[in-house]
Amino acid sequence: MYRGDFALGTLMRFLPIVTQIFLWWAIFDTIGGAEPGNAAVAGYSFHNVVAYYLLSMVSRAFSSMPGLASGIALQIRNGEVKKYLVQPVDLLGFLLLTRVAHKLAYYSVAALPFALVFFLCQRFFVGPWPDGLQWTCFVLALLLSFLLGFFLEACIGLLGFWFLEVSSLLFVYMLFNFFLSGHMFPLDMVPQPWHAIVDLLPLKYLAYYPAAVLLGKVPRDHLVGGLLSQCVWVVVFIVLARVMFRRGVRRYAGYGG
Amino acid sequence: MAIIELQQLSKSYWVYQKREGVRASLRSLFRRDYRAVHAVRGIDLTVEQGEFVAFLGPNGAGKTTTLKLLSGVLTPTAGQARVMQHVPWKRENAYRRRFALVMGQKNQLWWDLPAQESFRLHQHIYRIDRAQFRQTLDELTVLLGVTKLLQQPVRELSLGERMKMELIAALLHSPEVLFLDEPTIGLDVVAQHNIQRFLKYYQQKRRITILLTSHYMKDVSALCKRVVIIADGRIHYDGSLSGIVDRFSGHKIVTLQLAEGQDPTHLDRFGSVVEVEPPKARLRVERRRVPAVMAALLNAYAVEDVAVEDPPLEEVIAEVFLQADDAAAAAATAALPAGPR
Amino acid sequence: MRMSRSYLQVLLTFARNSFVRDTMFRTNFVLECVSSVSWTLMNVGFYLIVFHYTPLIGPESGWGKHQFFVFLGTTWLINSLVQTFFMTNADDYSELIRTGNLDFALLKPIDTQFLVSFQKVDWSALSNFFAGLILLAVSLGHLCTRPEHPLVITPWAVALYVVYVLCGVAILYSLMIALASTSIWLGRNQTLYDFWFYITNFARYPMEIYNRGWGVPLWVLFTFVVPVLVVVNVPARILAQPLYPERSLGWPLAAFALAATVASLAASRWVFQRALRSYRSASS
Repeated sequence: MYRGDFALGTLMRFLPIVTQIFLWWAIFDTIGGAEPGNAAVAGYSFHNVVAYYLLSMVSRAFSSMPGLASGIALQIRNGEVKKYLVQPVDLLGFLLLTRVAHKLAYYSVAALPFALVFFLCQRFFVGPWPDGLQWTCFVLALLLSFLLGFFLEACIGLLGFWFLEVSSLLFVYMLFNFFLSGHMFPLDMVPQPWHAIVDLLPLKYLAYYPAAVLLGKVPRDHLVGGLLSQCVWVVVFIVLARVMFRRGVRRYAGYGG
Repeated sequence: MAIIELQQLSKSYWVYQKREGVRASLRSLFRRDYRAVHAVRGIDLTVEQGEFVAFLGPNGAGKTTTLKLLSGVLTPTAGQARVMQHVPWKRENAYRRRFALVMGQKNQLWWDLPAQESFRLHQHIYRIDRAQFRQTLDELTVLLGVTKLLQQPVRELSLGERMKMELIAALLHSPEVLFLDEPTIGLDVVAQHNIQRFLKYYQQKRRITILLTSHYMKDVSALCKRVVIIADGRIHYDGSLSGIVDRFSGHKIVTLQLAEGQDPTHLDRFGSVVEVEPPKARLRVERRRVPAVMAALLNAYAVEDVAVEDPPLEEVIAEVFLQADDAAAAAATAALPAGPR
Repeated sequence: MRMSRSYLQVLLTFARNSFVRDTMFRTNFVLECVSSVSWTLMNVGFYLIVFHYTPLIGPESGWGKHQFFVFLGTTWLINSLVQTFFMTNADDYSELIRTGNLDFALLKPIDTQFLVSFQKVDWSALSNFFAGLILLAVSLGHLCTRPEHPLVITPWAVALYVVYVLCGVAILYSLMIALASTSIWLGRNQTLYDFWFYITNFARYPMEIYNRGWGVPLWVLFTFVVPVLVVVNVPARILAQPLYPERSLGWPLAAFALAATVASLAASRWVFQRALRSYRSASS
């Protein structure tokens, strides 16, 4: 049942990008007139846009946590969470470790299709090769985006202690995530005053930020500051998840499970 | 003309064989192992209109597969079948309007809705006219005592009540042939009894033909005169319930009540001792030796009471199943089809 | 006559039962409506940003802001109809195969494909239908009242529009039921569902955008092999772009869309029947 499924599935994840690329291609053809190469939207050339989509796929690969929140909510609902109250195992720590293992296993296989796509699309990566600082910040931003994605979604799952049904909440989160993380388009394109708001939200670190760092869209003197504020968000959500878990468990025990 | 006729009906299919271990799983990525399952191997059977026939057999014997072949859900690998002159797996509407299949382990009613709504759907699917539908539904709900439950969502019903609703759904279009696949599975004794009583009454009143599979001997003995034992995809017996004992058991059970002071040892001279609980003792005796053994017993002991009985049906049937299993295993090792018995 | 009336009655009962069920879980129903509508609203936001930077999608394509919103509204109408009537059923279908409950469908004296395809109606998905109608009304209003070349909508165009929207629904349905049928051979296959979403993703844009570079083979593939490109494009053009006769639909494409609908339905029927023959009926 899984023969070839996996590699094929990974390749198909790039399909929505194909249509996005054609959409932007048509747009750049329209605004560029005779010289589409020089046209730019919010500082992005057509090549930049394509490169951005590909790189944001990489950040999404780190930050997306399929099934995490709904899994936690389910464990709370069917009482499986009780296990963690008795055993000396920490639920969040346990889930984090499984997630790391899962991601590692996934990328050892998915690396190949990813490499293939990047190789085929190398001509879209124009401009100077990123320097050491950019690479360092890119890798750090990716790792932090993994943690941020994990704890953010864990918090939503932990809401299950208070609400019976978190699936619609989760849907709203995914909705905002989809549009405001930069999954759908580079966030630089959002006009003011919306841009200021989007810039303040933690969601941009889930897709936009790592890609923008590597593409040189983040000014050099902002690189470290950006990483720091990403760290702050990670810490905020770690603390929030801990507090929610503790409160939730107490509430749970109060009801007698 | 028989209402159901099967000739050499067979069904086999290939199943993907999972193997343990990392290496085997990796290998299965490229080459999978398949195993042939012969669920039904050449069944011949004729059922007359108005019969109530039970299929007995161990799990995986091919009972359910046979019912599914007769319902047209599955297409056979070989052989023929006619039910009311129709070939089931052609799935003609004319045929599908005339029979019903009830499966104790599956449910077809809308889970969240009152059973009433599912019944109405059946009314339209089977094109039952309104008055007829009302009348049949009233009759069935009264018979089964579920009139008050019609408005209750199915998920809130007990297993027994749900089974009754499933039966009603199957009988709304007044089928002439009814296939019942373990209709009482998992039910408590009272619910089982209710359903048996209903089936008996309904079958006698409507003179419909029913094929039933069940694990419960009670179902079978209460309902069916004719029993078909299926094991390993073949028919091993077809006849009356009491005939099973005559055919498969060469023994009788002799129960003795000895007079006070009698020593019940050395009874094994007369037959194999089943149990001794002074002053009572039970012996298994070969059927043809019963008269001789009785004379000898009465001669040797002072006996207050004596009874000669057939062995319990369940034991006999379990034995038949075991024999069938052994035969199948032997056939598999020899890689040759087992000969006719 | 009696036959089609009975099918209609069964269909109405399905719709009614689904509705009764939906009203039993009212909060859930409302939440689902809200979330699916907000998803589409976000989509409008994205295209507002796009049209912030460009007057048209593709030079001289005729897809300006309001024309494109007619296109988008049409996408929603078609998608919501597919979701309302078929999405749950296609999903349930592979579940029926897995659990062996397809048995019951096979027993009924009614076409099995009909029974499987229409069993449930997801009324909450219809909320996007109304969202699509509103978007359509607003953008057509803009087009009809603009100072130069105001758009004139003829009853003829409206009738054609309805026909082609239904054709689009039929094509997507065929694709969906054919993919779901393959789970008889493959078991429940998540990739297939992703596949459906990714393929229909190509239908969401005006076909002109593929008219460059290596988009042409894609255009050929998704027009002639898997005809998802005609699903939204044909009806949307009928309504939004009649003013440009040289670029407008043209009868060849319209005729092709009809042929594609018939062919898709026939192909899906064939796949469905083939799949049923391999059904093994899992015992529980």
